[in-house]
Amino acid sequence: MTGLANSKGLETAEKYYAQYGARAIELKKEGRKVIGYMSALAPVEILTAAGVVPVRLKGFVDEAITKGDAYMESIICPFVRNAFDAAIKGRFSFMDGMVLPHQCDSIDRTNDVWSSYLNLPYWHFLNVPHVTDDPSIEFMKEILRVFIGTLEKFLGTKITDAAIAQAIKAHNENRRLMRGLYDLRKSNPPLISGVEMMKVLVAAMSIPVDESSALIRGITEDVKKRTAPADGNRKRIMIIGDQIDHTAIPESIENTGAWLVADDLSIGGKIYWPEVDETADPLQGIAERYLRKLKIPTTFVGDGNTYEENLEARFGHLKQRIAEFKVDGAILFIYKYCDPYGFEVPAMKSYIESGGTPVLYLEDEYSTSTLARVKTRIEAFLEMIA
Amino acid sequence: MAEEKKGRAVATQTAARIPKFVRGNLSATLKAKEEEKKVAKAFIADGQDEIMRAMDIVPAWGESFSGVCAAKRDAEKYLQKAESDNFSRSLCTYATCHIGFEMIREEQGGAMPEGAPWGGMGRPDMILGNGQLLCDPRFKWPQALQHYLKDVPVFITNMYYPPWDPNTDHHEQEKFYVKYCTEELRETVKFCEKVTGKKMDWDRLAAVVELSDKTWDLFVDTYDLRKAIPTPMDTGDAMNTMVPLTFNLGTQEAYDFYVELNSELKQKIAGGIGVADPEKYRLIWAAGLPSWFALNDFQYFNSKGAVFPVEVTYRGCEKIERLDLPKTNDPLEHIAWRWVRYWTHWYDAARKRHGSTPKVERIIEYIEDYKCDGAVFHSAFSCRSWHAGIINQADVLRKVYKDIPILIMEGDIVDISSYNEADTHNRIDAFIETLEAYKGKQKK
Repeated sequence: MTGLANSKGLETAEKYYAQYGARAIELKKEGRKVIGYMSALAPVEILTAAGVVPVRLKGFVDEAITKGDAYMESIICPFVRNAFDAAIKGRFSFMDGMVLPHQCDSIDRTNDVWSSYLNLPYWHFLNVPHVTDDPSIEFMKEILRVFIGTLEKFLGTKITDAAIAQAIKAHNENRRLMRGLYDLRKSNPPLISGVEMMKVLVAAMSIPVDESSALIRGITEDVKKRTAPADGNRKRIMIIGDQIDHTAIPESIENTGAWLVADDLSIGGKIYWPEVDETADPLQGIAERYLRKLKIPTTFVGDGNTYEENLEARFGHLKQRIAEFKVDGAILFIYKYCDPYGFEVPAMKSYIESGGTPVLYLEDEYSTSTLARVKTRIEAFLEMIA
Repeated sequence: MAEEKKGRAVATQTAARIPKFVRGNLSATLKAKEEEKKVAKAFIADGQDEIMRAMDIVPAWGESFSGVCAAKRDAEKYLQKAESDNFSRSLCTYATCHIGFEMIREEQGGAMPEGAPWGGMGRPDMILGNGQLLCDPRFKWPQALQHYLKDVPVFITNMYYPPWDPNTDHHEQEKFYVKYCTEELRETVKFCEKVTGKKMDWDRLAAVVELSDKTWDLFVDTYDLRKAIPTPMDTGDAMNTMVPLTFNLGTQEAYDFYVELNSELKQKIAGGIGVADPEKYRLIWAAGLPSWFALNDFQYFNSKGAVFPVEVTYRGCEKIERLDLPKTNDPLEHIAWRWVRYWTHWYDAARKRHGSTPKVERIIEYIEDYKCDGAVFHSAFSCRSWHAGIINQADVLRKVYKDIPILIMEGDIVDISSYNEADTHNRIDAFIETLEAYKGKQKK
């Protein structure tokens, strides 16, 4: 962003983005265990309470899948395949174990593949339900207890309710801080670009929560000092999807003359808005957040009296964010072979458009090899809404 | 224009009755209004069959409808309709075919789309799904469908079973899984009572559940007859004979069908009549739904002397005694125990064989029991639920059992665009050569 001041925090985020897992490697050398996880459904509060370093697995969008295809079918989500390929090639060799939450078929049906070929000392499949009724909350608490039990056995330490409660406070604070940074995108032009924000979000997935909070705090202070010169009439874009964890798409948007000012991604808006309630039984608050507050398509929401009520419950937060961040257009970026997101497209698209916001729906791979066509579509969309 | 193929020949007379069964299920959804019954768009293998049967709710099976469209090679217009509203071609084609059909009907003000197979399927009064472990479309398809059928209420049950973990004893978790499944089934009953305005007749449900158990037992006993050499029936027929178990569970008609099939198979065995003559190779259909538009491929196998005496696909039951179900007077709890134990009863065997998995253990058991020489898998591009992890199953099978010939075929369940008959037959030919070489080595 021309004319904007630099930031030490952003340099750190850039480092953790470019050298993903670098901090986990340092902490492992100091004797900490590193547990990897997939998806927004992993209860990071429990990993933090266990004293391990939680690292969310990512893909490497500019790297071709060269080994993973020997073990995993090409009909599986391209992001999952890419992350698995990275894992099998040793990109996450610092992990002592992994937790794989049941998000979708692409994860659930490959549990055996991950566990058998990575062969890590610790492995846990967390059987998160798809529905949110009261029996499901009780069930979620049961499976969290099983998860805690297996972690305790692996680590040889007790994970107390007090430690979980403390971790909940730390993650809630982290979420508030991140939302504070998001707030700096509400101005016109935003004080932090979509590309910079992506680096912060990715960096935050790979470091302990306290370090993440310190990093975000520092970046926020630096960014607040920026003076943003008026920059014409650039369109303000929001991106919606699951795990987009690279700068290629934000760059495609911002290099085309628009600002990426908001997102509803599973590494961003989806996880930083909902907090865990501080309940007497900490697992109650965790169960409720992951089942009832996270807005992800693998959790069925449909208890409304009318279809319209269901739509509000599923997508109402999108309209709120569009209004808060003064979004001019939304890009719905869905990976190929993704049933949970793919089946949402007509409903979500028409819901957003009904509020007057144009939507570009893109279905694509997790790869920069297809970026040229994505850029072309984005350029055409921006021209259309100009 | 539909490219309807000639009906596929079946080895058993009983299997030839299946089209009537399928038509009957479709027409029941159309007659339901006259009979003042409610229609539920429902899913097979979702644990809800007996609730529907006990409450006189008529199931409208979306998978069956789409499978019929595929078999008649007439699914394309529905797939294209769904695609026109941004449903990707990479999504479950059972779902997109059915959604496309419903989209057209809604646009026509409720009039049946012209040329709908076998008279089409009735408009549902409710949509039942199950966010179970194995298939995202079981809760996303109902949600997507409601976008076009806005007045139709949706209920999603959630029935899980303990996931496979070689380091964990799943028996320790069974009770809370069964409790959860039972509660979810109770919620399903409440929803059905609300939509139908009728109360559940619990004695009737108990009787339906008992009949289902008997059907499960009879199904397995009947299929076990296929162990005979030569086998009297193979997977080509089983993709038909699965219909009563899969779509009509809890009905007397389903039970009676297997009585008849059992009798016919015994007669064939007594007469030494096999599917292939001579029977040279015995194969297991180890995983994957078939390409409904290419069921003749089974006959191509048969023409080479290869038969499938056993398949994993659509064998969605087990001898009740083997599951060792705890006694309960609550039919819903019984369904829950049966569900949890069905999905987990290969776990103990898998735990005993280092590196194995329950899915592979099941395949090994069938290979041994049915004396198979090789395994065939089918990978359908639009379905992750049954087809993701097949490479792993084949790999583990080779590692923990033996290096038997394995063929992984690729295609789809409904979308014919990916299918090439000549290529498929070439691959089968090459596999037969591998089998021949393997059998030759085994004899030495």
